[in-house]
Amino acid sequence: MQPEKQPLWRSILYPVIAFALVISLWWGSVEYFQVPRYVMPSPGDVWAHIMSDYATLWQGFQVTFMEFLIGFVVGAFSGFFMAVLMDASKTIRGVLYPILIVSQAVPIIAISAALTIWLGFGLAPKLVIVALVVFFPVVVNVLDGLRSVDSDLLRLARSMGGNSWSIFRHVKMPATLTPLFSALKLSATFSVTGAVIAEWSASTSGGIGAYLMQANSRLNTSGTFAAIAYLAVLGLVAFLLVILVEYLVTPWRTKPVVPRWSTRFWQK
Amino acid sequence: MSETPQPKLKLTEVSRLFESNLALAPTSISINEGEFICVVGPSGCGKSTMFNIIAGVLQPSSGTVEVDGQDITGRAGQVGYMLQKDLLLPWRTVLDNICLGSILHGKASKKEREAGVELAERYGLGDFINHYPAALSGGMRQRVALMRTLAMHRDVLLLDEPFGALDSMTRMAMQQWLLSVWKAEKRTVVFVTHDIDEAIFLADRVVVMSPRPGRIRDILAVNLARPRGRDVYTAPEFLQLKDQIMTYVYDEKDSSDAA
Repeated sequence: MQPEKQPLWRSILYPVIAFALVISLWWGSVEYFQVPRYVMPSPGDVWAHIMSDYATLWQGFQVTFMEFLIGFVVGAFSGFFMAVLMDASKTIRGVLYPILIVSQAVPIIAISAALTIWLGFGLAPKLVIVALVVFFPVVVNVLDGLRSVDSDLLRLARSMGGNSWSIFRHVKMPATLTPLFSALKLSATFSVTGAVIAEWSASTSGGIGAYLMQANSRLNTSGTFAAIAYLAVLGLVAFLLVILVEYLVTPWRTKPVVPRWSTRFWQK
Repeated sequence: MSETPQPKLKLTEVSRLFESNLALAPTSISINEGEFICVVGPSGCGKSTMFNIIAGVLQPSSGTVEVDGQDITGRAGQVGYMLQKDLLLPWRTVLDNICLGSILHGKASKKEREAGVELAERYGLGDFINHYPAALSGGMRQRVALMRTLAMHRDVLLLDEPFGALDSMTRMAMQQWLLSVWKAEKRTVVFVTHDIDEAIFLADRVVVMSPRPGRIRDILAVNLARPRGRDVYTAPEFLQLKDQIMTYVYDEKDSSDAA
């Protein structure tokens, strides 16, 4: 399951080369075909725009990032809690599962419009949208993790004197971390999209999504691309953040020995 | 007979029905303190059923299980047990896995952890206490699983084919190792296996079971001197016992297949 080890310089150099290649291709074709700036700005134009409107964009980045972060954490925790409930009771599972499935069939953008009516133009509807994006994959994966715990292991834990709380805490809960993080990784970038969609419905908060809409309606192509660049960075940051937390929370997946910083490390 | 010591583990007329199938016919056996008992038999002979009843994770349809004269029927956690699967927690270190019993009871104290470290050192895993199970070989993982069982401080250990998933060379090394642990720890062991050689090599007495309904066919004493080395496998008594057990196991099969 582990990716093939490659030297650090290579894992940094290759993406840099790929990125530089895309930028120069973009720049080259804009210059070569003499594309007008209002159709397709060059990377230089986009950079110039970012420099000139730096403060607003940075402000917007922070707003959208907070929408992502809070919504993501709320969605992940409530999804986890829901999965635990559904695992504990057959009735709850039977009732909620169909509702969950149907709710996934409704497009986020439609919910977004309704949420604006109910919750207004502020932070709340954005958080709900982002949380909804994360919620479903987390419920499904965590539920899977809980149900795939070996029944022999549960029997052994019970025979060793574990009560339901300690068995949940030490045996079942940690078993959900791997599927939980694969759900989080999948939904990290998409929840940034969720935040943008929510900002499109109506926003007074001034996130990058709102900035994008404004620039677009004024045919400000450089502004649009500047916003896209910020969103790309935001998506990347979101993904890397999840990877970082995963690395810290599940060291056993990448290391043969417990790290020294862990409280689990036994110093003789 | 009044001089016979009280048996460590005693089954009295224990039976189990699954729906209307008799998985285990009424079975009685007494096992002495410090004895090493192996249970062999083909699939469906009720050895796993008997194992689960002694472990307390399965309620018998009738009969009682006693340890030191105390009725423990249907009560889990009175004996230590271990399966073919090591069932180690991948997110816990070797040391934490050894101390799992204490952790499940709340928290492993410093003293309990030190005892765990000592156990690991005594049985050759001292350098691995901070490793995760994924970094260990199959044999090492089974050793950790046995240490986890030992750390529970139960006098009776139930082992259900603990070496069944290991390659034959590792398995032989593990058998030797298990005997040394048994000798040092002075526990009473009930060891379930498919492997007749393994059963004779390890046991003081071999319990042979047969299917339909699951029952004890015979109990054979193994009088080979301990400590037992590789040469035991070719001793005349070993071969004689093996022949007899094979007769029980295979003749039974033939007659039921013909029926």
